[in-house]
Amino acid sequence: MPSLRDLQRSLAAALISGERGPMQVHLIGARELDAAASLAVYRSNVFSNYRKALRDDYPAILALVGETFFDGAADAYTRAHPSRSGDLNDFGAHFALFLEQWKPAQQLPYLPDVARLEWAIHLAFNAEDVPALDLAGLARVPAEMVPRLRFDLHPSAALVWSTYPVFKIWQVSTTGRDERIDLSCGTDRLLVIRRAGTVEIEPLAPGEWAALEALARGCDLSDAHTHALEVQSTFDLGGFLQRHALAQTIVIFHQPQTLQEGQA
Amino acid sequence: MHRVDAPIPARAGIGLRTPHYREMLENRPATAGWLEVHSENYFGAGGQPHTFLEQLRAHYPLSLHGVGLGLGSVDALDQAHLRRLECLIARYEPDLVSEHLCWSAAGGRHLNDLLPLPYTEEALDHVAERVLQTQDFLKRQILVENISTYLRFRHATLPEWDFVAELARRTGCGILLDVNNIYVNAINHGFDARTYLDAMPSAAVQEIHLAGHDDTGGCLIDTHGTAVCEPVWALYREAVERIGARPTLIEWDTDIPALDVLLTEARKADAILESEHAVAA
Repeated sequence: MPSLRDLQRSLAAALISGERGPMQVHLIGARELDAAASLAVYRSNVFSNYRKALRDDYPAILALVGETFFDGAADAYTRAHPSRSGDLNDFGAHFALFLEQWKPAQQLPYLPDVARLEWAIHLAFNAEDVPALDLAGLARVPAEMVPRLRFDLHPSAALVWSTYPVFKIWQVSTTGRDERIDLSCGTDRLLVIRRAGTVEIEPLAPGEWAALEALARGCDLSDAHTHALEVQSTFDLGGFLQRHALAQTIVIFHQPQTLQEGQA
Repeated sequence: MHRVDAPIPARAGIGLRTPHYREMLENRPATAGWLEVHSENYFGAGGQPHTFLEQLRAHYPLSLHGVGLGLGSVDALDQAHLRRLECLIARYEPDLVSEHLCWSAAGGRHLNDLLPLPYTEEALDHVAERVLQTQDFLKRQILVENISTYLRFRHATLPEWDFVAELARRTGCGILLDVNNIYVNAINHGFDARTYLDAMPSAAVQEIHLAGHDDTGGCLIDTHGTAVCEPVWALYREAVERIGARPTLIEWDTDIPALDVLLTEARKADAILESEHAVAA
């Protein structure tokens, strides 16, 4: 008689690998089914749950590659990246990384970046709600202090960068349009963010993207300005700050000397 | 956050699903006496799911129903999962919190499915310990739901109904009695569903689930994707007669129909509950 531990480990392995496994002799099937057929019912449930979870998270990838290819990728991902959470919403976290390495996907080199964009959208959908930026408090900061300010981006904000036109690819594939896209038409710098309950994707200018990326890393406004000017000499810091403060891309400001938070 | 403080009534409730958010909020149908959600669907920190649930919580009693804790898994209880559940409970103050009598992970790999336990003394000791740990952690009673199974184990020594009743006796947990799952297992494994009902300690049963299943020919599969079938309604009537009127959930998780279809099922459950209330009065 197997211990409960051995039974669970062995059945888990058999469910994922598709092999019979040593536990089969201990099993009795349901109604008309023998043990192997009953185990196959569970195997089918497990894999279809994962396929469905990935389809929900990656609708553009599904539209791009079709159901058969997608399900093949989902099954291979399930075997290569064991689920580490009891929450199925966490399952797809490594799908972009997987697509980078999975041989059948190699002829579609833009897929991993599309997957990164879709995972950012998934995370943004469920990210924390936070109070709005204290605009009046920000306006009271003395002008000479402003360059030293640090900012927290909205918890849903993610910056996605790709050498492929992933925004266009995502738009075309999720709206079912039939359109040819020139893959060499440029680099995408995108902000994914939830505004008023809706996840939005905003294409950014190079300087704007670099400044937000620097702020997200914890740089102060002065350093973010420097990074932005390195990639775009026309970058306008005042306009940038006003736009992203009003749009709530930034939600908290921190002053250096007093460590006062804009939320206080 | 505003919330209705009334306990979950011995009436029909419905599983709240994303496609019905807006309609529920606009019409707030009284036919749904209370709502149940899958806990994990609200493990995210914010966004639309919470926006809607918070508004609906102001009008309906709530039950949190977990699918991912794995009470029967031999792997250590997932503390991160428990903490997320604890936060959700603090946020919504649900009247009932439930999980399944199953295992779902082994050797660090989650299968994210409700997998069957062998009904042995070893498994009973293990699940009882885990239920106690969970109740200690959450500082409240949980309900444990019987599941549909497509496998049994040759070394099982207890009938499923004795396992469930003994788990409740040892841990003080409540029983979430899924009548559809009893029916599915009775057909799949060849026992009399009434024997199961007779073994249930009435006081421990605090909630009932009703759902649809599929007949694949080979065995019955618990899909939650169809209406409750007539034999399950008949078994539900018997359950209510034996155990008493209990909060009864209409579950529908795949191929989700129009809200009206769910509410029609809820009315059917309510009619049965009301006839029991009339007998009891």
